[in-house]
Amino acid sequence: MADDAPVLDRSVLAELRESVGGDDAFITDLVATYLAETADHLAAMDAAAKAGDAAAIVRPAHTLKSSSAALGALRLAAIGRDIEMAGRAGDAADLPAHVADARATWAATLREMAVAGLTR
Amino acid sequence: MSDLALIVDDSAVNRQLLARHLASIGIEAREVVDGRAALAALAEPDNDVGVVLLDVVMPDMDGYETLAAIKSDEALRHLPVIMISGVDELDSVVRCIQLGATDYLPKPFNPTILAARVRASLADKRMRDVEVAHAAEQATLLQTIALQKEELSRFLSPQVAALVSSPEGQLLLAGHRREATAVFCDLRGFTAFSDSAEPEEVLGMLREYHSKMGELIVRYEGTLEHFAGDGLMVFFNDPVPQPDHVERAVRMAVAMREMFAGLAARWARLGFELGFGVGIACGYATLGRI
Repeated sequence: MADDAPVLDRSVLAELRESVGGDDAFITDLVATYLAETADHLAAMDAAAKAGDAAAIVRPAHTLKSSSAALGALRLAAIGRDIEMAGRAGDAADLPAHVADARATWAATLREMAVAGLTR
Repeated sequence: MSDLALIVDDSAVNRQLLARHLASIGIEAREVVDGRAALAALAEPDNDVGVVLLDVVMPDMDGYETLAAIKSDEALRHLPVIMISGVDELDSVVRCIQLGATDYLPKPFNPTILAARVRASLADKRMRDVEVAHAAEQATLLQTIALQKEELSRFLSPQVAALVSSPEGQLLLAGHRREATAVFCDLRGFTAFSDSAEPEEVLGMLREYHSKMGELIVRYEGTLEHFAGDGLMVFFNDPVPQPDHVERAVRMAVAMREMFAGLAARWARLGFELGFGVGIACGYATLGRI
């Protein structure tokens, strides 16, 4: 279940930091890219959910899942995965609720990232 | 050097991270957001792309379509393509490998696995480039040899041209002593004719004479030893052994005489008074490169 996953898994971030030789400036840049990109994906998901277009939600949900997982935002990654699967299954009915869940988790993720000193 | 990696991913986070990991192992990367942009980059002449890192789920043109387009393009089909894939997408990876992908890279990215797979693919690409260059050199060489053989066959009969191009022929061309039959011929009255005729007339007549006599030399498989103006020296039984060399020489001489009769009748109408002289000698001769 998506709710079981941590909003921000600091061990993922620690591994990521280590993989780039402790380059904090790069991590901050990467998070900035993530924030901009995720805002776009959430907007696309909102539009697809409102239109009841299950196929159109697959790609932004997939990318949200992938980039969130890379930065340790595991709960949002799990929600992204659930939305992608719903989209692939053509299940449009629950999409607005899913996207609302993603929005709420996104807000929580932003808060935790700020606490972790990842946002400018 | 084709050491550039083309990253094809609609996620800016993934692109940024991959480019960073590649930079840390000295590999430069170019980033594009979808398959269509990737194909446009690969279509640029002299692009240095040596490996493609390709995401599966992308807008507009996805990873499957892009991979299929790369693999169906003769110029690109040997370019290594590494699929970027989440751990929950192994089915997609299998499909991509079946479509011709070289390898896959799981997300989240592990820099060590990334380095190993990209380096292996670049090494494959370099090896392939060397093979292609080598094959092109070979083709040029073969073309040159074929051209040289063709040139050689203009001056030697086909069987002699083939023989001198072979290792056996090289041995035969070494100086050696052998029985041979020589046929020598020339045009009677040629000196007076060439003094009085226009150079174009002389050359036109000689061209026709050489062409017709050349056909007979080839037909009887003689070896043209030399020709100078109207004089021809042809021998038999070397370098290709011919047990019937005497008979061949006589038959060719008779055929030459008959051929000349036809030519002379026409030349006479043009006012050229020419005769034909031919002699045959048989005996031991020292032949080859002396």
